[in-house]
Amino acid sequence: MMGRTIFIDPGRCIGCQACVSACRECDSHRGKSMIHLDYPDEGRSVASLPTVCMHCSDPVAPCAEVCPADAIQVTPDGVVQQADTTRCIGCANCVNACPFGVPKIDLAAKLQMKCDLCYDRTSHGLAPMCATVCPTGALFYGTLEELRTERPGVEVADSFTFGDTVVHTGVAMVVPADKVRWPVPGGLPVIEVNGVDVR
Amino acid sequence: MGPVPQSSDAPAAPAAEPEATAAAPRPRPPAVRATLVASAVALLLIVAIILGSRMLRNFDSALLPYAVATVFLAFGVTYRYTVWVSEPAARRLLRQGWRTLFSRENFRKAPTALPRMIATYLGFQKFLGARSTARWAAHQLLFWGCILAAVITFPLTWGWFTFTSATGPGPSYEMRIWGFKIIGFNSADVIGWALFHGLDLAAVLVIAGAGYFLWRRLRDRTATTGQRFGYDLVPLLALIVISVTGLLLTFSAVFLHGGGYEFLALLHMVSVVFTLIYLPFGKFFHIVQRPAAVGMQLFKYSARQDEKLFTCRRCGELVDTAPYVENLRGTMRDLRLDFDEWAEYCPRCKRVLRGSAYLTRVKRGFK
Amino acid sequence: MTLPVDPTIAPPGTRTFHDAGGIPADRWHADQTGETLVPTHCCFCGVQCGMYLRVNQAGKVFGVEPRNHDINRMRLCPKGINAYQQVNHPDRLTAPLIRRYRDKPFQECTWDEALDFTVAEIRRIQEVYGADAFGMLGGASLSTEKTYLVGKFARVALRTRHIDYNGRLCMVSAAGANKLAFGIDRAGNPFSDILLSDCVLIAGSNVGECFPVMTQYIWGARDRGAKLIVVDPRETPVARTADLHVPLKPGTDSAFFNAVLHVIVRDGLTDEKYLADHTTGWDAVKAAVENYPPDRAAGICGVGVEQIEQVAHWFAGAERAMAWHARGVEHHSQGVENCLSIINLCVATGNIGRPGAGYGTLTGQGNGQGGREHGQKSDLLPGGRSITDPEHRREICHIWGIPEDELPLAGTSMMEMVHQMRRREIRGLIATCNNPFVSLPNHHVVKEGYDTLEFHVQLDFFLSETAANAHVVLPVTVWAEDEGVMANAEARVVKHNKAQDPPPGVRTDTWILCELARRLGTGDKFAFSTSRDVFEELRIASAGTVNDYYGITYERLEETGGIAWPCPTTEHPGTPRLFEDGRTYHPDGKIHLQAVAWHPPIDPYDETYPLSLTTGRTVAHYLSGNQTRRLGALVEQTPRPWVEVHPSHGFSNGQPVRVVTRRGSAVYPALVLESIRPDTVFVPYHWPSPTAANILTIDALDPRSKIPEYKVCAARIEAATTLDEVPAPPTGPGRVAYPETQVSRTDPRPPTAPQGLGTAERDWSPP
Repeated sequence: MMGRTIFIDPGRCIGCQACVSACRECDSHRGKSMIHLDYPDEGRSVASLPTVCMHCSDPVAPCAEVCPADAIQVTPDGVVQQADTTRCIGCANCVNACPFGVPKIDLAAKLQMKCDLCYDRTSHGLAPMCATVCPTGALFYGTLEELRTERPGVEVADSFTFGDTVVHTGVAMVVPADKVRWPVPGGLPVIEVNGVDVR
Repeated sequence: MGPVPQSSDAPAAPAAEPEATAAAPRPRPPAVRATLVASAVALLLIVAIILGSRMLRNFDSALLPYAVATVFLAFGVTYRYTVWVSEPAARRLLRQGWRTLFSRENFRKAPTALPRMIATYLGFQKFLGARSTARWAAHQLLFWGCILAAVITFPLTWGWFTFTSATGPGPSYEMRIWGFKIIGFNSADVIGWALFHGLDLAAVLVIAGAGYFLWRRLRDRTATTGQRFGYDLVPLLALIVISVTGLLLTFSAVFLHGGGYEFLALLHMVSVVFTLIYLPFGKFFHIVQRPAAVGMQLFKYSARQDEKLFTCRRCGELVDTAPYVENLRGTMRDLRLDFDEWAEYCPRCKRVLRGSAYLTRVKRGFK
Repeated sequence: MTLPVDPTIAPPGTRTFHDAGGIPADRWHADQTGETLVPTHCCFCGVQCGMYLRVNQAGKVFGVEPRNHDINRMRLCPKGINAYQQVNHPDRLTAPLIRRYRDKPFQECTWDEALDFTVAEIRRIQEVYGADAFGMLGGASLSTEKTYLVGKFARVALRTRHIDYNGRLCMVSAAGANKLAFGIDRAGNPFSDILLSDCVLIAGSNVGECFPVMTQYIWGARDRGAKLIVVDPRETPVARTADLHVPLKPGTDSAFFNAVLHVIVRDGLTDEKYLADHTTGWDAVKAAVENYPPDRAAGICGVGVEQIEQVAHWFAGAERAMAWHARGVEHHSQGVENCLSIINLCVATGNIGRPGAGYGTLTGQGNGQGGREHGQKSDLLPGGRSITDPEHRREICHIWGIPEDELPLAGTSMMEMVHQMRRREIRGLIATCNNPFVSLPNHHVVKEGYDTLEFHVQLDFFLSETAANAHVVLPVTVWAEDEGVMANAEARVVKHNKAQDPPPGVRTDTWILCELARRLGTGDKFAFSTSRDVFEELRIASAGTVNDYYGITYERLEETGGIAWPCPTTEHPGTPRLFEDGRTYHPDGKIHLQAVAWHPPIDPYDETYPLSLTTGRTVAHYLSGNQTRRLGALVEQTPRPWVEVHPSHGFSNGQPVRVVTRRGSAVYPALVLESIRPDTVFVPYHWPSPTAANILTIDALDPRSKIPEYKVCAARIEAATTLDEVPAPPTGPGRVAYPETQVSRTDPRPPTAPQGLGTAERDWSPP
């Protein structure tokens, strides 16, 4: 987990997509939203899940590792940048290797794009656009201490399991106190989907 | 945060390589092999210069620093290239690209695909137009300007080109390569003017293109976000200095009777040498990397031709081509990213499955 | 057979970059140097979030920046973030439109031509049929100055009794209940009190979608241990995680709250001392709730007895409890009673006028609160004065400088005016800031009424569906092009600032009304050149009333960020929380409790129409959608309406389903969700005919507040073959709705969830 980072709490999310619209307002990628908002409980409830880049720290950025063009840089403070425009060849390796399903790709422009924690804002001391506007605090930007000041006793986790692999991330998720020592399940292995075994 | 990532550009990364960022760490590249290959290429170039300049008879000793710089350039590019393609992702993609290119299938089914891709991606760079029309136009100016300049100056530097006049100081000249006559022309006609002023033309193109990019880098927040001086601004400044000093050299020769020529020539030379040596390490390395886009595209294109498509295991939507997904899984396994099975799901399904897992196993509601 | 070389394949949701900012992404340059930030508030809902508009050196609004105003603390919802795109939108009207007959196309004309024609028609109709034959309709998204001017214009310049506004469709039930119980019409507590509460009850409000930014207060209360109770037929985003969600049957609210109060009385949880000291009418209420034992109410409401008991025990057991309600309880033929039954609950438990304890109504429109205070309602005069009270009439006539006999009497409500149009009692209409073709119930009747009008002039900045049916359309400013005040759901008056000059050819509503008044011969009463002039008169006109704005000035608003009325002097800090001294605004200072008896909804259920149809909002759109259906990001998020049905009906997701009521039918794609009651279907109302929810709704009115019963009518659903398509928003002559924003409009799919399409589900493009 980074010092100042985003904390995600899907339990607070109302699925309003303010984050999706706000992301478009960032000057560095105006008109293009990098955040994902899914309704994972489709047909059953209105539950929603915002996904920003988790800024994986161990292994450091699988997206950067699978990049054949060394286009994805990681800053010393742990922010995984979006692809360097001069290097990216638009192969989509990062799109399909990312365990969280984060990077987007502009096929015509041969360019990957992803959440870079609003580097243009955070590097000037502002919070990322999505976490600034989030009406519910489902996306919170700050330090863990700042989060706990607002939400007494809140616990967070910054590791996720995908099969046997544990991925540690720079962005953390809110979890109940009794689950704080577990890695959060990342969805793999898939056992069943809407009651149907997909294997 | 784990250990501070090491730069894969090591060990030769000069100060110009961004200090603030570094690529993610990977298994230590075979630096020794890269050094050997690079040395061999540099040696080959030296031999070629010697032979091409007819045992240095055509070699202009005033251009020696430039020639030395190109040898360093050859070493640097080869070194970086070797390091680059020995990493799993690039190695696998490179192999797939070449394999596709030389497959009989490809020649039979889509003989024109490669030339078309080369023209659109490498020549006209259509993909840049999708990013921004203005950037595309500026990059085209820059690109063709640099190509023109390189085509003229590299052989001159190496003593491969000579312009000789049978009649003393002109006006009719012969252009020779490796001593063989290519064309004869009159310095007063159009071809002659273009040949002698090719570099000036290139300078104008480069100044226009680089000037636009420099202006953009100072104003446009899309560009200034995460902008690094060494990586983003130095290359533009270098190109502009080269072009401006080059033009001033002509200006000095034509209008000032050589006034300030020596100083300008020195400045020009320093900027060129710096740029050539910097090229393998900074932003300019994309020149070497970009052809990989063609290989990648050809690889995917050929699979699409054969309808070898891959659909998401959960939702059945198209993900990519099957050989591509297999290649990616191989890359992930090479890198010990052991969740390669996950690549069989589309990003949306990954998120939805993670969301469902969170709802069922972490917390469903507010607390 | 050759495949195109480019582009290749990528998985869904990774490759869509629709332009959404009004500017195609590849033409956007973020090279705006020297930008200025203009502090203002959102033009949309009653929360009135603070925001900055970004203005470039050319003086044009080009973006939004979050603002740390203490209402919203930088938070914004998707509507607020995209609001700025209206300002320089290509669909804006920039010249008056005119036509003599409805079957002719509009033509652009000069202002003189449009105003002369309008004045001539007003004169003609009023001379032949009397002053009351010309009506006026205002709106609650206007600034308070403009709503004041609308009321004054109708009474002084038109001298008609027929003036009403679209707040009639919105929160008049709450207003009626507030006046009856407390003698003051506003929420009792500020939003920040929610943070101090131990039990928050939300009744009939989809807070997460209609007032998203308010959710932070509810979540903040829960972080501190408060219980959340949500009463709603649908499991809305806030209901999903609530400590208790009561999914009652639409139209049974007062039975439910009476039963809750029954349990509280039965179990001795009432605050008898508070009731004795501060209320009248408690015995009648107690007797009335006696008839609603939980088992009876459970049968009526379709909920469990234990839920009623639980709500009663949590609410009454909390040290500080609050209730907030919105259209869900108000849009009923007994809307006033529903609100009263909630007030009874708060009062009986002593939860009034304390930090963290109280009640409030969530006004839906931006100026839902301010818009109803200063005289654009048929029965009210500025300062919340009654038009039937001789003393009040005298005061206003004095301020306006008119003889008392010239002040018209009380008029009729908006829906009643439509019926009067059909009966040709109203033959001409001037309307601003409303779109009844989408927003009024029983659309066919509304269309008939408007079509019968001999002359109809509509003021708007986009050509609304209603304006498209008018004779004259006058282009007006958007909120960012004029200054003015609004009062949010807390009755906090906030100031909107002007961020840019209007486009050439566009005028303010203020200018138009004053100019019309001048041409009608009452120019001396309308010598206003700016909003500030109007506000100064409004301050005086409200001085000494319950809705006292006298102490509020533009300067104070800019210094403080908002002042809650009543504010009688310029030193007064305002009144964020009411009744702290235990006194209400009735002469006796008591809360006048009103006994409530439940009755079933007006539209009867039978074998043909067994289901309840309820309507409401979705998060990406606002009211009639005339604004939000033109903003690319919002169209992309929710391109079209749908019908939300329970899986038990056997429909599959996306299947065309016809919703039939006694008034009409429409076909929508089914959104099959377990989170709605099996006996209820839901359709959002932001879209026009043929997909308008209001084709289906009933125009039954609450006898007191005259609010239509939008939230329940009898319906059935059946499988259909083809969907009704969403039409493009109307535009001026020779133009089409900005295509960049309309890409997803014809998407036949329902959204992924009621909040919209997930970001990965937007790859659809027109065939």
